[in-house]
Amino acid sequence: MTFDKEQQKIAFTLFVVGLVAATMLALVDKWTAGPIAEAQRQALHQSLEQVLPEHSNDPLKDMFLFPIAKEENIKIFPAKDKKGDVIAYAWEQIAPDGYSGTIRILMGVRVSGEIAAIRVTFHKETPGLGDGIIKNKTWLNAFIDKTLTNATWLVKKDGGDFDQFTGATITPRAVVKTVHKGLVFYKKNQVDMLKRAYTVAMKSNEEGGKK
Amino acid sequence: MPSKEETLNKQDIFNDGFWFNNAIFAQLLGMCPLLGVTTTAENGFWMGLATLAVLLCSNLIVSLVRGFIPDEVRIPAYIVIIASLVTVVELAMNAWMHDMYLILGLFIPLIVVNCAILGRAEAFASKNNVSDSLVDALGMGLGFTFALLLLGGVRELLGQGELFGFNILGDAYPDVLLFILPPGAFIALGFILAGVNVINQRLQAKKDAVLQAEKQGAAQNV
Repeated sequence: MTFDKEQQKIAFTLFVVGLVAATMLALVDKWTAGPIAEAQRQALHQSLEQVLPEHSNDPLKDMFLFPIAKEENIKIFPAKDKKGDVIAYAWEQIAPDGYSGTIRILMGVRVSGEIAAIRVTFHKETPGLGDGIIKNKTWLNAFIDKTLTNATWLVKKDGGDFDQFTGATITPRAVVKTVHKGLVFYKKNQVDMLKRAYTVAMKSNEEGGKK
Repeated sequence: MPSKEETLNKQDIFNDGFWFNNAIFAQLLGMCPLLGVTTTAENGFWMGLATLAVLLCSNLIVSLVRGFIPDEVRIPAYIVIIASLVTVVELAMNAWMHDMYLILGLFIPLIVVNCAILGRAEAFASKNNVSDSLVDALGMGLGFTFALLLLGGVRELLGQGELFGFNILGDAYPDVLLFILPPGAFIALGFILAGVNVINQRLQAKKDAVLQAEKQGAAQNV
């Protein structure tokens, strides 16, 4: 099969357009990768400061991995006081059942099992309705100091303690359910978590000492 | 050698894009971002600016390469150009406007399928020189931003009693939820379109009156 001049020109033009576009995208991707990582780190840092009680360490630096299933770990950010004792943890808990897709919730939990604070770090909920989980501070503050036992972990419509929003019940319901799941997870694993936090801290101290 | 292109008046191109041929008010293009993001004035404003940025770049590039792209493949070529530009805007927003990216992130890729942009590439930039194409993109983009800002403002004000997040109508205002929901977007848009038509009719009447007066004046002079 042969192509005439016209067809060759068309193919060549499309090839050049694709090549230039791909090159440009590769360059921009490389150029923005650093700033994007930095922006995400900054956002995480800000959220951590909001969900953890006052602390004197850098939770980002003291992050350790905690196994939740075979070959599956979650990142846990511990908050420590001046003496180096762990006073709270923060980790991301994922709600798979938002109104539109998953919601990621960063929850800060004191060692005693009370919630220090929660923040939503990622969601695709309807702007103006479900995004109250980000904007509505009163609603977010209702989680503070709640434990497994001192609250009914349902939205008010279902007979619980947490408000739903006008026009949006599914979103808050998903968040409440997931935070509750997080607390159950903590209760089951708190001993292991504490052990792990200290072994990791000791290891990094030894490494620091060797240097 | 004066070509047909140069007879276009920049002011006319801009006015046409911003108002008389406005992507939303006159052509009803780009309904997807319109309905999706205009729940607040701020969201509408930033979505409009993101679209404006893409439109400026795409009109510029399409106008630059208009002599080299064979007619048969111009649409795929334009789509590749526009899609690449949108991705660049998305990456840049993620890097330097992270908060806004988290809110608009979902809708940015949809700029690719905003037919207002391909429409301008096809109907204007592929037939006109670079400077005219840029003016056209500026007028169209600002007109689009204005429309999104207006609709977002109306919906935020009626739906939440706020404007740019500031409480305007007081706490006693009963939020009309409907305006936050998609049907409210259509209803608000309908009323805005009616308003635009009223303004256009007045403009036309004024123009006719001026023409009439000129005609009479000319007749009297004769």
